[in-house]
Amino acid sequence: MPIGDMLLRSVDDSQINTVFPKTFEEYRKWDKSKDELPPEEVYKALFQELASGDKVKVGRALTRMNYSKSGWKSLIKKTSRAIKKAVKKDELPDNYKEFLIETNEKWADPTYWYAMGQMINNTTSIYYWNAIDRTFDENLNVVQQEENRRVYVQTWIKTLKVSVYVTAFCLILGFPVAHLLANLPLRYSNLLMIFVLLPFWTSLLVRTTAWIVMLQQNGVINGVLVWLGIISEEGRLSMVYNETGTLIAMTQILLPFMILPLYSVMRVIPKSHMRAAQNLGAKPAMAFWKVYLPQTIPGMSAGGLLVFVLAIGYFITPELVGGKDGKLIGSWIAYHLKTTLNWGLTAALGAILLGFMLIFYWLYNKIVGIDNIKLG
Amino acid sequence: MSKFLKAFLFVSLVFAPFAASAVTVASWGGAYTESQQKAYANTYSDPSSIVFENYNGGLGEVRAQVESGSVTWDLVDALPSDAITGCDEGLFEDISAEIAAGAAPGPDGESMAEDMENNGLEYHSGWDCCVPQIFWTYVVFFDPDAFPGEKPSTIADFFDVEKFPGKRGVHTWATGIIEKAMVADGVKPSAVPTVLANQTGAIDRAFAKLDTIKDDVVFWSAGAQPLELVKSGEVIMSIAYNGRVGAANLAEGANFEYIWEGQVLDQEYLCLMSGAPNRDAAIDFMFHASTPEAQAEQAKYITYGPMRASGIPIIEANEPWGPGGVDIMPHMPNTPERLKVSIVSDPQWWSDYGAEINERYSAWMGN
Repeated sequence: MPIGDMLLRSVDDSQINTVFPKTFEEYRKWDKSKDELPPEEVYKALFQELASGDKVKVGRALTRMNYSKSGWKSLIKKTSRAIKKAVKKDELPDNYKEFLIETNEKWADPTYWYAMGQMINNTTSIYYWNAIDRTFDENLNVVQQEENRRVYVQTWIKTLKVSVYVTAFCLILGFPVAHLLANLPLRYSNLLMIFVLLPFWTSLLVRTTAWIVMLQQNGVINGVLVWLGIISEEGRLSMVYNETGTLIAMTQILLPFMILPLYSVMRVIPKSHMRAAQNLGAKPAMAFWKVYLPQTIPGMSAGGLLVFVLAIGYFITPELVGGKDGKLIGSWIAYHLKTTLNWGLTAALGAILLGFMLIFYWLYNKIVGIDNIKLG
Repeated sequence: MSKFLKAFLFVSLVFAPFAASAVTVASWGGAYTESQQKAYANTYSDPSSIVFENYNGGLGEVRAQVESGSVTWDLVDALPSDAITGCDEGLFEDISAEIAAGAAPGPDGESMAEDMENNGLEYHSGWDCCVPQIFWTYVVFFDPDAFPGEKPSTIADFFDVEKFPGKRGVHTWATGIIEKAMVADGVKPSAVPTVLANQTGAIDRAFAKLDTIKDDVVFWSAGAQPLELVKSGEVIMSIAYNGRVGAANLAEGANFEYIWEGQVLDQEYLCLMSGAPNRDAAIDFMFHASTPEAQAEQAKYITYGPMRASGIPIIEANEPWGPGGVDIMPHMPNTPERLKVSIVSDPQWWSDYGAEINERYSAWMGN
C-alpha cells in the first residue's frame, strides 16, 4: 500500500485544478501563437476564483504552483490581498487584466502563465522529468532544465557509482574475513566475530564521527603517516569531506552486511571438498577457484544485494563525511519530503530508485539466478 | 463489576486528565530544547504540563499528521519559511485574532508585532499562526590563535583567499551563504534582501563571488562540525550557528571570535498544529513563551537573541546574565549596533526561491 500511494503521488496533479477550474477552462482557449498573454477572460476567472477561494485550498495550490515556477507563492498571496481589498470596497475593475498587471507586473510575464499550463491536467509526468533534470516548455514539450539547475542526473550517477564501489569494496574486504571466521577454531572465531559485530551495534553517528577524527588533515592517519616520514607536513592527504571519505566510511559501516551472509554460507561448505579437489590433482589456487568459490556464490549474492540496496538509499553518513560530494539521492528525497513539501518529486525520485532496484534484481536473476541466494 | 475492572476504571479516571492535558512541543532537541525547557516550561504556571519531543525540522511530519487526521503534537518549533508554508497550507491554525488579543504587549504598550518590527522584521503570514522565539544566525568565527598577524574582521576577508590563505568552512545548503556573498561583493547588508528580490542577475552575482572561494571550502552539514573543523585546524575560519560558538566560548572555555558583519539572522517560531489535541492550553503556553521576559530568560541558557526587541534591554539591565556570572551581551546577535551590519534573512523570498536556489547551489558544489 505505501508503495502504491507513492506511485500515485508521483503522477497526481489534482492539487490545483480543483481550486482554479474556471481559470483553466478559459486557459485552454488561449492561443499562444497569436496572443502573447492570455485573454481577458482568464484574468477575470482567476480574479474571481482568488476572491472566493478558500484560504487553505489556495495555500495548498500555491505550494504546488511554486514547483513549476519559483515566485508563484508571493505573487498569488500579494495579488489575493489586493483582490480581497478591492472586493471589500466593492471596487470591481472594468479591465481585470489591467488591474492584475497593475497590482504586480509579473502578471505581464508570460512565463508565469506558461508554468500554469504545466498543471492543467489531473495527472502529470513532470515529476519524473524533473527527477532527471527535464521540464516542460509552454507547449508541454519536454525540454532540458536550465543549465545551472541540472543536479539530479549527476546525483543519480554519483549514487550508483558510490553504491557499486562500496559493494565491491565490501566484497573484497569481507570475503577473507568471512573465510577466516568460518575456518578458524571456534574460540578464535568467536572472538573475531565480536570484532565484526561490535561496530555493527555502535551508533551510526559515532562511527561516522570517528572516521572524521581518523581521516581529517590533522587526524590520526595523517599524523601517523607524517610521523613515519611517508608523507611530508605539506603533503597531508585529504581523505575526508570528499568522495574518498564517503567510500571509506560507508564501506566500514556496511561491511557486516556482507560478512554475515558470506560467513553463514561458508560455514556449511564441507572442508573435505577442498581436500578432495587437491587429492584429484588440483593446485590449491585451482581448487579454490573451481570448487570453493562457486559454492560461496549464494552468500556473495545475498551480501552484495544487501549492501547495494542499503548503499543506494544512504544519506546521513555521506552528508557528514562527503563534503561537497556528500549529497546522494537520499539527501534529495529527504530534502523534498521535509523542506519543499514537493511530495510529487519525492515520490518520483523514490519510484525511480525502486526501478533501479528492480532492474538490478532482474539482471541478477538473469546472471546468477534468484534461487541461488542464501542467507545461511 | 469485578474488583479488577473497578480498579482499572479508578486508575484511568485519576490519571487520564494528566495524560491528556500535557502540551506536546516538537522541537530540535539538544541544548536548544534544554534552553526552552528551562526558560519557558520551568517558568510556566504548570511546568509538568509541557512535554518536549524531538523532530528533525521541516513540515514533512506535520503534514503527515494533519493529512492522516491523527495529530499528536500541539506545538511545533519551526523555521520562518516553514511557518509561512504551514500557515498558508492550513497545517498550522490561524490564530491571528487570539494573538492580537492575548499576546503580551511590550513595555511601552507596543503590540507583539510592533515589538518584532522594532527588531528589523517584516510581517509574513507565519505571524498568523505562530509566536516568535529566537533569532539565530549564520556567523563567521575563527580561533584568534591561528592568526598571529592580522585577524580577519569583515565578511570580505572571509572571501579573500589571498589576504587570508587557507580553507573555509561553509554549509552544504544555500541559505545564509548567498546573502554573505552579496555583502562580500559590496552590497550594503541591510539592502541584500531587496537586491536579491528585485535585481535581475543578483543570484548570478552571488554565485560568481562564491566561485572565488570554491577551491578553498570544506563543506559541512551538521551544526557541530564547524567547531571541530576550526578546532582541529582543518579550516582557518568557518560559518556556524552562533549558539554553538557561544556554547563553546561560555561552557567549554574556547576563545573564538565572531565576525558579526554580514551575519545572517534567521528566525524561529512556535506554531500551533491544526487540530492540536490541547489547543487552548497550547495557546496559553504560546503566550507565555513569547513574553519579552521569557525570551530574555532563554538567553541565559543559549546565546540566541530574543525576537522581541524589548527582550534585549532586560538582558542589558541585568548583566551578568549568563551562566556563572558572565556577560551575555557580547554573544547576542541582535544588539542594535550588530543589527546595523546584519542581514535579516527574508523567509518569504526563500520560501519562493529556496528549492531552485538549493538545486543550483548543489549543482555548483558538486561540479
